[in-house]
Amino acid sequence: MRTNIIGHRHRDIMSCVTVITLLTLILFIACLFPRTAAAKVYIDITSPSAKKLPIAIYDLQGPSGKEISDIIRDDLSFTSLFMYIDKASYIEPLSDKFSQQNWKPLGIEAVVKGTTRGNSSLTADITVYDVFDGRPVLTRQYQSTPELVRQLAHSIANDIYQAFTGQPGVFRTKVAFVAEDDGEKGIYVMDWDGHRVKKLGLKGTLVLSPRWSADGTKMIYSSERGRQWGIYLLDFVKMTEKRIVASKGTNIAGDFFPKGDAITYSSSKDGTPDIYVMSLKDHENRKLTRTQGIEVSPTVSPNGNHIAFVSDRGGSPQIYLMRTDGSDIRRVTFEGSYNTSPSWSPSGDRIVFSCRRGKNQICIVNPDGSDLLQLTETGNNEDPSFSPDGRYITFSSDREKIRGIYIMRANGEGQKKISPPGLRSYGSRWSPN
Amino acid sequence: MKSGKRVVLVLMVLFAFGLVACQKRAVTKADTGQQAQPQTMEKKDQEKVSESKIDSTIESVDVKDKDAQYAESKESMFSDILFDYDKYDVADKYKSVLQSVSSWMAKNTSARLSIEGHCDDRGTNEYNLALGDRRAKAVKDYLVSLGVAADRINVISYGEERPLCNEQTEVCWAKNRRAHFVVLTKVGK
Repeated sequence: MRTNIIGHRHRDIMSCVTVITLLTLILFIACLFPRTAAAKVYIDITSPSAKKLPIAIYDLQGPSGKEISDIIRDDLSFTSLFMYIDKASYIEPLSDKFSQQNWKPLGIEAVVKGTTRGNSSLTADITVYDVFDGRPVLTRQYQSTPELVRQLAHSIANDIYQAFTGQPGVFRTKVAFVAEDDGEKGIYVMDWDGHRVKKLGLKGTLVLSPRWSADGTKMIYSSERGRQWGIYLLDFVKMTEKRIVASKGTNIAGDFFPKGDAITYSSSKDGTPDIYVMSLKDHENRKLTRTQGIEVSPTVSPNGNHIAFVSDRGGSPQIYLMRTDGSDIRRVTFEGSYNTSPSWSPSGDRIVFSCRRGKNQICIVNPDGSDLLQLTETGNNEDPSFSPDGRYITFSSDREKIRGIYIMRANGEGQKKISPPGLRSYGSRWSPN
Repeated sequence: MKSGKRVVLVLMVLFAFGLVACQKRAVTKADTGQQAQPQTMEKKDQEKVSESKIDSTIESVDVKDKDAQYAESKESMFSDILFDYDKYDVADKYKSVLQSVSSWMAKNTSARLSIEGHCDDRGTNEYNLALGDRRAKAVKDYLVSLGVAADRINVISYGEERPLCNEQTEVCWAKNRRAHFVVLTKVGK
């Protein structure tokens, strides 16, 4: 009886030993190869000194193949996270099977191959290889119509960007702006790379400040029609326009709240320009500021808790911050005598604005007023706003005589003009998606 | 039997250590701020690339001018009130002009006055629209203080949108920083 019990206990202990030994072994192996457990990080985009990833991008074989490849190259190169290695150095013919031996000696870490086919309907088959692991990290088929070839290429670039950074790309976003054509001012929308410029057919000859809703389906702006500055709401889904603020005085569009159910704006309906919040459901208005001076350009923080705005209550136009109920007003900028046009970064940790340093420049600051940085140096630079991933800023500049729309990385690098030459453009605003 | 128990204990400790070590590794990974990576896609997936079309035929709102029954004077009978850079207070030297505007309005009781506020283009567009509004309002306030009925004066800002002068010179900027009077007289009178 006793031995029996001991025998049982012994067996129990032995099976326990086996199980734990096995578990330990599995754990040991899992720890040796963490990559199979956790996802691979190729580019740490949070690091300011991230090494550029050398990437080979073939001209895709088939209709529009070269055009698509060029767009992907331009997209990835502008991020400064990728370094495109010229196709002249590739040893491996496009049709040959991918072999890491062909790429390792060249120091290339990623390879994009693919083909296209079809005319009325365009299909692109894309494979992206990780040279180090010697395996594909992206295999995907894209289908579109030939007129959307640029959007197809941008979609491929987005997926490549996401495969290597873990973050969504912004290559299909747009920039809205105001431009003057034959003395008439109108709102235009173009791709972030300056292609496919489109004028929205709106009434009125004066227009200002286009602002997107957070979901990108709506826009508000100020327009002067019949001797009256009103605020208008454009619905991109229904393609209809509504006048939502028509009170007497100068009404200037500010911003949507994140949920899209309310807007903030500036109006002089009570005498002088003050900040208001209006619900888009019942059109009820709440007045947030009461000064005899100028209160303008309200912009809502991404979490919807604060409004940054411009006020001259201290004797010169400066950026201020308040809660969305108008309480807790704090001054953000102290340097310089003219700071205007604030706009939030998507994470709410930075405010970009126009700062006068002789001429108007683009500056960036923390909401508490710390870490002020000037990002531009030449010409007059205005209307800054962030890309939805917070990595880029669009703005207007007259550095090449005629005002145009520019983009740059959020640290001020890579400044380039994107709006059409000869078209006087300003009032830029990056779309949220 | 005792040794067997010890083996179990040692292995359990080892296992626990292994777990902690692995977890630490996982934490370090997460600390780099990276989100989950898309894993290798074994099966070929498809993406239909489309776009919601932006139609140029938007139902746009037409707004009628409330003063449409009034005709604008082509040339202003009153000279512009000019302002200092970034300022909106009316200088003393313009008070005689405003006096004559007020007298004229007193005699021409059916006329209305539109005051346009303008700016030079060195400021930013949106702030300038508010500044132009404030300039026109300052002039209106002065006229009201001289006895002109407030409802006979409307104010509109054009900011830097309608410059009088297009050069980048001090002379030109000074001309653009103005409040401009437009006399509106009833049509058919």
